[in-house]
Amino acid sequence: MIFTILEHILTHISFSIISIVIMIYLMTFFVHESVGLPDSSEKGMIATFLSITGLLVSRWISSGHFPLSNLYESLIFLSCSLSIIHTIYKMGNHKNYLNTITASSTIFTQGFATSGLLTEMHQSVILVPALQSQWLMMHVSMMLLSYAALLCGSLFSVALLVITFRKNINIFCNGKVKNFLIKKFIFGKINYWNEKRSAYKNTSFLSFRNYYKYQLTQRLDYLSYRVISLGFTFLTIGILCGAVWANEAWGSYWSWDPKETWAFITWIIFAIYLHTRTSTNQSLQSTNSALVASMGFLIIWICYFGINLLGIGLHSYGSFTLTSKILNN
Amino acid sequence: MSSLLLNPHKALFTASSSFPLRSDVNAQILVASRRAATRIVDCRPRASRDSFEAEALPETNAKKKNANRKIILFGSSPPPLSEERSGAAGNGRGKPGREASSWGFFQKSLKRALAVLSNLPLAIAEMFTIAALMALGTVIDQGEAPDYYFQKYPEENPMFGFFTWRWVLNLGFDHMFTSPVFLGLLILLACSLMACTYTTQIPLVKVARRWSFKHSAEAIRRQDFADSLPKASVKDLGIILMGAGYEVFLKGPSLYAFKGMAGRFAPIGVHISMLLIMVGGTLSAAGSFHGSVTVPQGLNFVVGDTMNPNGFLSFPTQSFNTEVHVNRFYMDYYDSGEVSQFYSDLSLFSLDGKELTRKTIRVNDPLRFRGITIYQTDWGFSALQITKNGEGPFNLAMAPLQMNGEKKLFGTFLPTGDADSPNVKGISMLARDLQSIVLYDQEGKFAGVRRPSSKLPIDIDGTRIVIEDAIGSTGLDLKTDPGVPIVYAGFGALMLTTCISYFSHSQIWALQDGTTVVIGGKTNRAKLEFRDEVNGLLDEVPELVTIDQNLNG
Repeated sequence: MIFTILEHILTHISFSIISIVIMIYLMTFFVHESVGLPDSSEKGMIATFLSITGLLVSRWISSGHFPLSNLYESLIFLSCSLSIIHTIYKMGNHKNYLNTITASSTIFTQGFATSGLLTEMHQSVILVPALQSQWLMMHVSMMLLSYAALLCGSLFSVALLVITFRKNINIFCNGKVKNFLIKKFIFGKINYWNEKRSAYKNTSFLSFRNYYKYQLTQRLDYLSYRVISLGFTFLTIGILCGAVWANEAWGSYWSWDPKETWAFITWIIFAIYLHTRTSTNQSLQSTNSALVASMGFLIIWICYFGINLLGIGLHSYGSFTLTSKILNN
Repeated sequence: MSSLLLNPHKALFTASSSFPLRSDVNAQILVASRRAATRIVDCRPRASRDSFEAEALPETNAKKKNANRKIILFGSSPPPLSEERSGAAGNGRGKPGREASSWGFFQKSLKRALAVLSNLPLAIAEMFTIAALMALGTVIDQGEAPDYYFQKYPEENPMFGFFTWRWVLNLGFDHMFTSPVFLGLLILLACSLMACTYTTQIPLVKVARRWSFKHSAEAIRRQDFADSLPKASVKDLGIILMGAGYEVFLKGPSLYAFKGMAGRFAPIGVHISMLLIMVGGTLSAAGSFHGSVTVPQGLNFVVGDTMNPNGFLSFPTQSFNTEVHVNRFYMDYYDSGEVSQFYSDLSLFSLDGKELTRKTIRVNDPLRFRGITIYQTDWGFSALQITKNGEGPFNLAMAPLQMNGEKKLFGTFLPTGDADSPNVKGISMLARDLQSIVLYDQEGKFAGVRRPSSKLPIDIDGTRIVIEDAIGSTGLDLKTDPGVPIVYAGFGALMLTTCISYFSHSQIWALQDGTTVVIGGKTNRAKLEFRDEVNGLLDEVPELVTIDQNLNG
């Protein structure tokens, strides 16, 4: 009973804090007079992370097994992983815009998890025999961490594509927002770039506005590359742990089960992404790889949600009753 | 003799003051850098001091005369320098030469094929095609009878205007993951992997391994990252880079430093482990045995009788002559009545009746014995042991009634009265698991529920029935797979090399140009972090100030 109350409280706390964090981001974006606000949003993210982790721990204690046995728990874990990734990159103390992606993704996953659609799954369920293994922890947590990282990275790529292909980037002309962008994203790099440009006198000169755009896309490109590389590492470990587990439980390390197959497809797509990065043409490279990553974004969702929706194959433990609910309504 | 001014909080600088701050030559004084450099010296105080002592001598004794002499600040056994090819690089050159002669034939005959296969767009296209085929394999139902495809993909109404059952059956998409198209693509991808490793990756590493100094400021400025520090010494930069984990080489006014060479090697490892997994997978497919058996509790079977070979390399081994006896099969339940775990207590006997091993297996905990693995995969209800009006016990065979989904249902029938009459009547007994039996009377009405463990009698239409025992049967999967060790080795290597691949290989060049140090660097992965890191390190480089400037300040 006490755990149910605790869970409730923690869910609400995490959701409220993340909403406030989003509000802060919006405020800093539109108003730009940000004295202590970014700092407080950072603290908000950490508070969210702690309350989500608390939620998972309380579920762990109350159910007695690692809380990753159904979709609700995995969504909560996904938002937890998003905050973990946020913290990892924050600890590196890099100025980046990861927070804009992680915070909004967290609110989406958390919102979906706590929404009415999945109320039947809020109860923690018993573990079927096949799931009773130490590999559950390793495999599922790695997979969700990788999903979180890959989702972030591919969202950066989507952003990059949007910026690249929009003809008139009016945010760069709009006074206040322009100021904000210059301050937030590019300041401090200008000197360096100017210097570098002077080194290349004979290269084509970029117009001032396009120059900012170029810098922004380049930063986004690097950032998405790094985050996707991290996610790819996690994905590899997750899939291979799953294979070893399958060899323990079902007697075959690979059985072309739909979920497995889609995880492998995701792996291949991001492997392609990493290979497109090795091409020499810089601008073509970033656009191409961003296209691949955006494709990967869709494929992760198919892998994570689509297969569960169909409820087929050996990974149907986490499948949920959404289909029947939709049909009934 | 000028004095040495040191920032008071840089205690370690003072501690290791056998430093080459030989102010006698240049009459320069080390003032404070903006940030404390203590950390750097703290990291490897001994290494830096040793190397500096080694280096300090030529510096002070004869500066320009010894310009030819190479000074290495770090590392014990240096690979040949690119500048000194003629001398030191003698063995470095001999090796590729030998390789060229032994591989010459292959290179000539395979050069074209290699060039085609190592083409990156081709490899990417292969990967895309494989991904698409796998996606198709999950969309098209696999392993159905041809009739199913005739109905689902009819010729009259083709999907997307062209996709009919002819496509499915002719290309083997009804068994996608063993179809020739798919396997052929995998083989092609494996060839591309090998070709790419050989023609692209290994030469890249060879280039990266070479220590190359850059002697012109222009070449350094052309790097991805370039900066120049006025009033700085390249040697100070060397210590600071060393403290940050770089391997630093210094020769006269030029500096070369690198970090994370493993990040260059790791992609080769990734490719090799992928190949290893593919080889292991092939061996698994060609050389394994698989069998599955349902055994009632108390009975036994011989391993070899159940095993079916999977491929042409499947050869039975001596261990197939092992007899497996199911001592006991039982289940654990949650309080809610759902099954929490299945257990089979198995004994393995040799054919002459000697017990070899005994283990209670469960899901996720198989029995491994001389290459054979026995998994707990399924269960069934074999028989119900009852006594009727005190007679018996009789064993009633249970029949599976409903097998769809996870829920199983077993049933049996005990005739009452004349068993030979055309409309025989009797008592029906149904069970979902081994725990409780539901009994129905002759009319089909519910009569009661009994647990086999309770031994509680039940009277139905004048017949007294006691349920003595429920005998389950265990569903076992047996397997031998010679590919597993290779695949696992590949898995381990792949995990490790993918992790290492995350790190990037960074190279930094610097050149002392008067009092200015020109710095350029590049990295293959973490470009943003590299820029930040180097900027941070450059902030730590102490500024050299001449004595009169210092007095003015």
